[in-house]
Amino acid sequence: MSKQVITAGIRGANVVVDRVEGKINAAIAKFGADKEVKLPNTAYYLPVIYGITGMKVETLGDMLPVMEKCRQLLADVPVDNCWTPYLGPGLDSGMATLFAFDMEEALKYVEGSPYLDSKEDPEETDADIWLGAADDIILRKRGVEFVDGSAPGFAAVVGAASSPDAALAIAKELQEKSIYVFMASNNENGNCFSKQLVEAEAQVGWNTRLVPFGYDHSAAIHAVGFAVRAALTFGGQTPGDFKGVLKYIQDRVFAFILALGPVCDEQYAAACGCINFGVPVIADTDFPEVLPTGVCTYEHVVTNIPETEIVTKGIEVRGLKITIAKIDIPMSYGPAFEGERIKKDAMHVELGGPKSFGFEFAYSKPLDEVEDGKFTVVGPNIKDVEVGGLLPIGIWIELAGRKFQEDFEPILERQCHHLLNGAEGILHIGQRDIVWMRISKKAVEAGFTFEHFGTILHAKMHNEFGAIVDKVQVTIFTDPDKVKEHLEIARKTWVDRDNRLADMNDETTETFYSCSLCQSFAPTHVCVVTPERPGLCGAYNWLDCRASYEINEHGPNQPIAKGDPMDERLGKWKGVDEFVVPASGNAFESFAAYSILVDPMTSCGCFEAIAACLFAANGIMVVDRDYAGDTPCGMAFSTLAGSVGGGLQTPGFVGISKFYIGSKKFISAEGGIKRLCWLPKALKEASKDMIDARGAEVGVPNLYDMIATEENGTDEETIMAFLTEVGHPCLEMDQLMEMM
Amino acid sequence: MAFSAQTEKYSGKMGTLTFGSGDQALTVGGQASMPFAAFDGDLPNKAVIAMEVYDVVNPEWPAAVVEPFKDVINDPVAWAKKNVEEYGAKAICLQLASTDPNGEDKDAAYAADLVSKMLAAISVPLIVWGSGAVEKDAEVLAKVCEVNEGKNLLIGPAVEENYKKIAAAALGYGHAVVSQSPIDVNMAKQMNILINNLGLPMDKIIMEPSTAALGYGVEYSYSVMERISLAALAQNDEKMQCPMINDLGKECWKAREVMLSDKEEPGFGPDQEKRGVLWEAMTAVDMLLAGSNLLIMRSPKAVKLVEECINELSA
Repeated sequence: MSKQVITAGIRGANVVVDRVEGKINAAIAKFGADKEVKLPNTAYYLPVIYGITGMKVETLGDMLPVMEKCRQLLADVPVDNCWTPYLGPGLDSGMATLFAFDMEEALKYVEGSPYLDSKEDPEETDADIWLGAADDIILRKRGVEFVDGSAPGFAAVVGAASSPDAALAIAKELQEKSIYVFMASNNENGNCFSKQLVEAEAQVGWNTRLVPFGYDHSAAIHAVGFAVRAALTFGGQTPGDFKGVLKYIQDRVFAFILALGPVCDEQYAAACGCINFGVPVIADTDFPEVLPTGVCTYEHVVTNIPETEIVTKGIEVRGLKITIAKIDIPMSYGPAFEGERIKKDAMHVELGGPKSFGFEFAYSKPLDEVEDGKFTVVGPNIKDVEVGGLLPIGIWIELAGRKFQEDFEPILERQCHHLLNGAEGILHIGQRDIVWMRISKKAVEAGFTFEHFGTILHAKMHNEFGAIVDKVQVTIFTDPDKVKEHLEIARKTWVDRDNRLADMNDETTETFYSCSLCQSFAPTHVCVVTPERPGLCGAYNWLDCRASYEINEHGPNQPIAKGDPMDERLGKWKGVDEFVVPASGNAFESFAAYSILVDPMTSCGCFEAIAACLFAANGIMVVDRDYAGDTPCGMAFSTLAGSVGGGLQTPGFVGISKFYIGSKKFISAEGGIKRLCWLPKALKEASKDMIDARGAEVGVPNLYDMIATEENGTDEETIMAFLTEVGHPCLEMDQLMEMM
Repeated sequence: MAFSAQTEKYSGKMGTLTFGSGDQALTVGGQASMPFAAFDGDLPNKAVIAMEVYDVVNPEWPAAVVEPFKDVINDPVAWAKKNVEEYGAKAICLQLASTDPNGEDKDAAYAADLVSKMLAAISVPLIVWGSGAVEKDAEVLAKVCEVNEGKNLLIGPAVEENYKKIAAAALGYGHAVVSQSPIDVNMAKQMNILINNLGLPMDKIIMEPSTAALGYGVEYSYSVMERISLAALAQNDEKMQCPMINDLGKECWKAREVMLSDKEEPGFGPDQEKRGVLWEAMTAVDMLLAGSNLLIMRSPKAVKLVEECINELSA
């Protein structure tokens, strides 16, 4: 941590508090202690002081106790030869500075305001541009935008950029992201950001979101005052409940400070104050950083960032989420186009597919290696292809995010299908290396180019997965050699991903996830999804549930700390049972993850398949949704589904996903895969690799051949004869009847 | 031994919602038992019926709901007054149909101004309902909130796609919000959580679980509402303890059985008006039995029938 920064801050704080004390005393001498003090049209007194301490400053005399408070908070400047803790005193001194600034600005109003009070924008006829404190009407109108997210946050810009043009570039970038720019304070040359913008002919004022508060350092307090009043107005925080106010601003008002040019002690002091609010400082000059996290979401002070990157860095360090209101493509976009087919004669170009090759691949990189919104085409673009043409395609998506985890890569990659299909004139089929796309003539006539794949993916991933994604960069390869080269890299990663998932197990995982998506029609149903037991619908595995929770923490997938095991054979954990009771509306007391007989999990209605006990055969059959015929348990799938589904625990029956058949935990409480004695032929064939692999692991390498299908019989007696003939292991196992 | 009736004990209680300002404010909800089951728990507030007013009327409306308003049908403010003064409406719901971008596409400023005029003209609380066009509703309702600051309107419907803008405006300018979800308990709960997380307190939220008319899926609405009530009462699920509202007038008065005359469909019988009135009243009673606290209705005759029913069942 930087002692240098904090030392400068404490030094600055002492200077500010001394100066303001002098000014208060002078004002009292001139006007008397009863002289009224107020900011224009506000119910919040001096808002920073009122919000944090609850003290109402209504007269000059009321400033004296606040001054005492400042003195209490103010620390001595740390000395060089003695190491003492300094972050706490630094933050306190910073707060004292903010109180002092609040009063220093209010004193200006006592003398007659130097500001354009209660105006939204300076007009050409105005002598100066400074708007000063926002009144409550402006606060309410603009504050609503912070609550509804149409303004994702504000950047408080202090000092001045290297040139008016550089200032304009920074302001534009912030404006494009709908971020408010609050400007105050100058630098050692007397230069300031607001004046630079005016020089570069930018329109300043609340309506362009470029708000010039004032020239002095103290005017920066109006940005803090805005945030504090937002916490009181919209957050329902009580004045004086400083914890609540600070927390609200940290969690809800996404603000950061851009310090441009050399930073003086007073600015360091104000910055220390702002860190209390979780507001980090990003500077373009080189001074020691305050990196460890604690008060702010991420780092506190980040320095030496070039002007061209400072906005991106600010957004990243503050953890601010950007949404993209409109997908900038020349075609329409919406769910209505997802089912759109593009026939041969309507098609301009075909990409990948059976006649060529193609793939899509998403992976994550460190934040500084991904350039958000950069789209590149390597190889021929759409204009280089004749109508009816064919090209290979590689969609290469680079992602970065503070909260991104490697495990989310396949989930985001799988979104390409649905995201790209949403565009009118784009047909997308398949995933990984079986991608097949068509682009319509109409889309190309409207101006579609391959870069637009990037535009779509960038916008949608930010909007739908903003919780985990901060940066999206997309490269489109159409050059055959480049496609092949990158496809090889992707294939290696896919193998690694598959292995990683295969290596995960329930024993070493502490958190399972619930899925209550189906409670809309099966009110008591809860799925408990573990790495080795995917949701019964087959659509949600453990990783999907985890990602879904990260994206929407109030959604249907909630984490379950599994807690101490109660019965490892059955798959019962304390934490799971504690979760299941309220989540099932008190309908169930206990769930066993691996048993079909004892407290099996409930089944909603979405199961891909149903497992059922065949007591005479002493085995288990599985029937899937696609098989309509009779089964040895005496019921066809539809009849079974009717009796098993609806959120019930039905010992002897359980709804499962097809993939679960290949899990080590497949009904392992009752002996697992060795019990499997009947499957519909189609399902058996589709599951051959899983059955072979698991059979070999449990010492029955020819298990596949021992499993009966409808060809061997659809009643228990007939298949018994078959099982006996092939010597199916289930016949020799413990009696199922006795395991109940 | 004396007979003692078995009663159901609930651990939870539905929250309340107050809309309208000053002496005119109305409170709904707060029940500690299932509908009309006063022997199981306290039912502090009777269900309220808000009468609809449209700022533009679909020319296909059947005579039964044109006739009662024919002198005011082109003047929503006069219509609202008539509903209150002549038909005894306890609340008004202004349906801003003209703001629909696929219709007249009137702007937000017009809507905000109309609401101000209506507020000045009537003495009962006002519900302001958008056209159902998601983006446009956000814009229109936000403006309505801003211009009518502090009037504690009930505005909606806020849905997953536009709730932020609507709820933020309600929070900023002192109004309450209708949180609408597509016939799904989980979504209903999630909407409450999302809106509450923006900062709007739970007692400023009322749920519209999507209303279907009799014969058009009313049983789905019924089950979802019953589930919500049970979650609130039996499971004491705080996030489900917002009262419920049903926007049912517009659903009922477009049903085939209501729209067709006996010439077009002889089997329906000659009294088309009675058919319509009963269709709306029956749907309303279904919603009440499912736990509704606030009904939006159109026909004065149907309103009268349902009010009688509420009074009898609450007696």
